[in-house]
Amino acid sequence: MKLHCFQRAFFHSSPSLIPVQLPAPMETHLWYMKPSEVKSESLLKEYLDILSPCERKNVLQMGGEELRKSALLARALVRTTIARYQINSEITPRSLKFRKNIHGKPEVEWQYSDDWHPPSLHFNISHTSSLVACGVTVNSQIGIDVEEKHRSIKHNVLSFARRYFSEHEVQFLAAISDPQVQRMEFIKLWTLKEAYVKALGKGFSGAPFKTFTIRSKSVPEEGFNKLEGSSLKASEIVVDSFDNPTVLTSNWQFLLLELANSHYAAICTEKHGASEGDRNVPVKLTVWKTIPFLEDECVSGTDAVKTICGL
Amino acid sequence: MAAVSATCVRFRTSSAQLSIRASNQIIGKSASLVSLGWTRTGVFPCIRTSRLQICAAKAETVEKVSEIVRKQLALSPETALTPQTKFSELGADSLDTVEIVMGLEEEFNISVEEENSENITTIQEAADLIDKLCDKK
Repeated sequence: MKLHCFQRAFFHSSPSLIPVQLPAPMETHLWYMKPSEVKSESLLKEYLDILSPCERKNVLQMGGEELRKSALLARALVRTTIARYQINSEITPRSLKFRKNIHGKPEVEWQYSDDWHPPSLHFNISHTSSLVACGVTVNSQIGIDVEEKHRSIKHNVLSFARRYFSEHEVQFLAAISDPQVQRMEFIKLWTLKEAYVKALGKGFSGAPFKTFTIRSKSVPEEGFNKLEGSSLKASEIVVDSFDNPTVLTSNWQFLLLELANSHYAAICTEKHGASEGDRNVPVKLTVWKTIPFLEDECVSGTDAVKTICGL
Repeated sequence: MAAVSATCVRFRTSSAQLSIRASNQIIGKSASLVSLGWTRTGVFPCIRTSRLQICAAKAETVEKVSEIVRKQLALSPETALTPQTKFSELGADSLDTVEIVMGLEEEFNISVEEENSENITTIQEAADLIDKLCDKK
């Protein structure tokens, strides 16, 4: 029995998580953590404790303490986040099982009996060394990607774009004269493209970046920026796929955010009931900053979450 | 011409130069390591046109790949790298991996198809693919 302050005893055997209702259709939940804010060794041990043996092994194989920590927090975030939705009384962070779809995209493997049908919950995670995020939706495929705003690119931005991006995107980037701005637009574009292929569930090699273009709909030259006094339509982000024109690409919607003043986050989700007249269905996004078992803070509407495009 | 049965011959020397003559051709010079790959007929897999140097067998490729990975991920000199080390274990995310592939393409003058880039998860896998692509040239 631990003899620390009684808070420890409170979650010694059943760590507490504030429960949350599942997102509604057309609603996205985003949970994120900053590894630098998790310092308690005993808390890290609690996180390690809820992982599967396989996940634990993968975490410990990472080279270096910082990498191990962010790998650990990524798994802990996924498990605790899904458990919060209290799908049924038997689900705990530790009891959740995961598997990969045929393309390698992780999904929950629900343990269910004949008379219980699991909800159609979808999730996707992304992490950098300084931020770990998990997006959740119901009935809708989701892909997310986060990158540090000031991330360095070793190659010249345009060489990289010519090699990997579509022609339209290369032209868009080439038209930006300020190298700093160009780099930041590149990173935003990268996160959007990553989020899209992750939502598709095919990964980088299943949906090569050259085969689709992501662009800002009405004012492409403005790029992915917050337009002052803009309407919903003006800031919409769209994807054109060369392999699958029209039908499939109008099914996806994008959000681009600045998170915690330090990261770009792109969220791509499936749009249902999409038709010509239905394009501007507003998306609801709720964002929490969390340290599972310790504290949660809803940060929607604060400075921690700045919408760039798409809302 | 005699058939060569060995598939691989390696020499390591700490002195400055080593040159080898076979079939009236100078094969290569290297400060510390020379690796030779021989096919069954004794024909050399490929020759770089810019320098008289053969696309070397695994060890030199592995070394070059390791250098590129170190640079891309800004690893400290103390970080141990083995051919089996996974890029992800070194903290490489998808953007890093793509940049590594790009660095390899530039260094070895090859082109990696997107379907193959997913198969490059370790230094050895990168070296194997590079050698395969070099062999085809």
